[in-house]
Amino acid sequence: MTTTLYEDRESVIHRLNPVTKLVAMLSIIIIVFAVQIWWVALGIIVFVVVPAAVVSGTGGRLLSLSLKLLLPILIVLVLLQGLFFPEGTTVLAEFGPARVTVEGLMFALGIGSRIAALVLCSLVLLLTTNPALLMTSLTQKGMSPKMSYVISSTLQIIPAFHTRAQSILLAQQARGLRLKGNPLRRAGALLPLVSPLVLGMFTDVEERSTAMEARGFSSPATHTSFVIVDDPLGQKIARWLIVAIAVTSVVLSLLGVFK
Amino acid sequence: MEIRFDGVRYSYPSGVEAVRGISLTVPAGQRLAIVGQNGAGKTTLVRHLNGIFRPSHGSVYVGDWTTSGKQIADLSSRVGYVFQNPDEQLFARTVREDIAFGPKNLGCDEKEQERRVVESLELTGLSEHADVHPHHLSLSERKRVAIAAVLAMKTPIVVLDEPTTGQDELGVRMVAEITQSLARDGRTVIAITHDMDFCAENFERVVVMAQGEIQADGTPQEVFVQTQALEHAAVEPPQLIRLAKKLGWSTTPLRVDEFVSGLSTEGKATS
Amino acid sequence: MIELRDVAYAYPDTDRYVLDGIDLTVARGEVVGVVGASGVGKTTLAKIIAGFIPNVEGGTLDGSVTVDTVPISSLPLAEAVAQVGLVIQNPFNQISGAKFTVREEIAFGLENTGVPREEMITRVSDVAKLLRIEHLLDRSPYALSGGQMQLVAIASVIVMGTPVLVMDEPTSQLDPGGSRMVFDIISALTDAGTSVLIFEHKVELLREHADRIAVLADGRIVHQDTPRAVLTDDRLESWSVGSTRYTRAARAARDAGLTNPEAALPVSLSDSTDYFTTQRAGR
Repeated sequence: MTTTLYEDRESVIHRLNPVTKLVAMLSIIIIVFAVQIWWVALGIIVFVVVPAAVVSGTGGRLLSLSLKLLLPILIVLVLLQGLFFPEGTTVLAEFGPARVTVEGLMFALGIGSRIAALVLCSLVLLLTTNPALLMTSLTQKGMSPKMSYVISSTLQIIPAFHTRAQSILLAQQARGLRLKGNPLRRAGALLPLVSPLVLGMFTDVEERSTAMEARGFSSPATHTSFVIVDDPLGQKIARWLIVAIAVTSVVLSLLGVFK
Repeated sequence: MEIRFDGVRYSYPSGVEAVRGISLTVPAGQRLAIVGQNGAGKTTLVRHLNGIFRPSHGSVYVGDWTTSGKQIADLSSRVGYVFQNPDEQLFARTVREDIAFGPKNLGCDEKEQERRVVESLELTGLSEHADVHPHHLSLSERKRVAIAAVLAMKTPIVVLDEPTTGQDELGVRMVAEITQSLARDGRTVIAITHDMDFCAENFERVVVMAQGEIQADGTPQEVFVQTQALEHAAVEPPQLIRLAKKLGWSTTPLRVDEFVSGLSTEGKATS
Repeated sequence: MIELRDVAYAYPDTDRYVLDGIDLTVARGEVVGVVGASGVGKTTLAKIIAGFIPNVEGGTLDGSVTVDTVPISSLPLAEAVAQVGLVIQNPFNQISGAKFTVREEIAFGLENTGVPREEMITRVSDVAKLLRIEHLLDRSPYALSGGQMQLVAIASVIVMGTPVLVMDEPTSQLDPGGSRMVFDIISALTDAGTSVLIFEHKVELLREHADRIAVLADGRIVHQDTPRAVLTDDRLESWSVGSTRYTRAARAARDAGLTNPEAALPVSLSDSTDYFTTQRAGR
């Protein structure tokens, strides 16, 4: 079991420096939210996300994951904004208090496409980037090793924590604990789980921190890196370029150009 | 209460087949040890007894029940299962409260709970620790609390997963005594163990597992001389059997007293 | 080398000493085994030698603890850990959790202490060869069995190359073959000058590999001698330490008048083969 979505494959997208992908993702998100033109987010989905998914061979997973994540959000958006948008004047249909308006639908489309772009870009990053490599390359770009440790150990320890919770649940059931009845009773029944879980977690954290210190975690020496992540000049330039675009779009947005 | 595994196979969701066609009958009151390397499928097999796993093929019978229709909590009235790691099991603020948890779930009244707590504490040598928080005990003692908690449920079948791992000498002797006393009460004991000496001294039947299959099954005398099966399962015979073999004996002493009496007879035979 | 002189320790906010009057020396190139009941303070002793107590965990520490003649508790933790490698009891918690392959996991400590990359690569591959875990190097540390994880945990400490190693039950998850391999490696390290203090239940392995054994009971070292002398001591069970069946059989035979009462009792298989062959021949 794992908490990361990463799938090991060979592709141009997979080979990109993780920092490049991270910067690109963040910049794109900034751009779609700064530029208030409705087709920008859709354009990015069609001309950036879809090709990236196809090239990296992650299209299938991306589709199924994004449907699961996005569909509920989009449905709620369309229902709420499409039907009840207060500033809507161009009425298409009316059902009692609900009015389907062009403005409402346009608003839902605008917000929906941005959220879709955000979710899809993040998923492409997660699907194509080895988290360990991302941490390593961020450390090489100056992020503190402690920060990197906290993030990656959390990623890895969550599944271990889940496994432990599972074992504890089984141990209590094997002693006759019943998980039936209404949610309140269930919650009461689950109480026996919490104490061993929390105590176990404290012991683990304490032991692990001893073991980590014993392996020089707080050493004042300049940390070196076992893995070297390739960072060609082209990608450096591309990163600066996309950051520049993002900054420009924010500035233009603040100046009211898109109003 | 009889236990029967009937052509049991089990595959994990990952596709790994951990148990590959096991048929095994354990009569009531038997002391059975299951041995073999980590990953041989021992724990997966015995966890079928309390419904943690359901067979992908075949059936598991506990008395007149098949486990397939029963919940883990139902089966807990027949099968007591002591987990390998006590810290996954103990949760209450005091040892006493923890031991009472099982009987309470089984519907015992307070008087009965108290009676069983006292009895289990005595059997596991923990009486003086009744009101201590389990967290303040040593690992060896916590393991015994976990055993006591399951003993208090008075199930006809008790499963011990690695009862001697992490135990000191006092703990090992305690577990041996508990095993014998359960058998005297006519209750079945199934233990998974890596400790072959403990196994030879306390169990009347040994099942050797490797790669999800039974490699050997019989009395310790029968099993611990099957060199090939043992090697295949990466199991070393108990110390006294190894010594007897080294000395050229034809017998297989399981306990120290058997070895000593063998010393007089075998000694004469070889000299 | 490790030298403890009259060491006593009480946890923070208590005045009850859990360890008291401990005298123990592990010379350069020596393996000393420590045995004792569960909960007798072995982990505390390990943390004292590794410099965590009292520096990190507080409490009152009396007496002197030196590693290669330097008082360990006067050193900043970062310098102390450069002297002492600590293998903790639970391999699951020895794994950093921050690395996604065994290879990088083993390198973690070397990265922390700023070892150059080329050297790291050589040292990781050497230690992997030593512990026969080369086939695991590209796996996730969490996709390992308990035994494999324990070998990785040991590798991740040995790779640091500290002059002193403290190991808390390093073979608890290993089968007989794996346990023997770990002790063979310990012997190879001590031949090269490492000092090793090991807490271990598997007394037959201690008999073969330790230079000396100390018994810890009630917070004190109650006995210290050669492995064979300690492990055949009549008081062993009262200290809640197990003896091998070889020892028990020989003792029972001696008490039954079947063997020479003067002969030293055996601990291991080869000891006892000798014992029973010569004892019988001599009668």
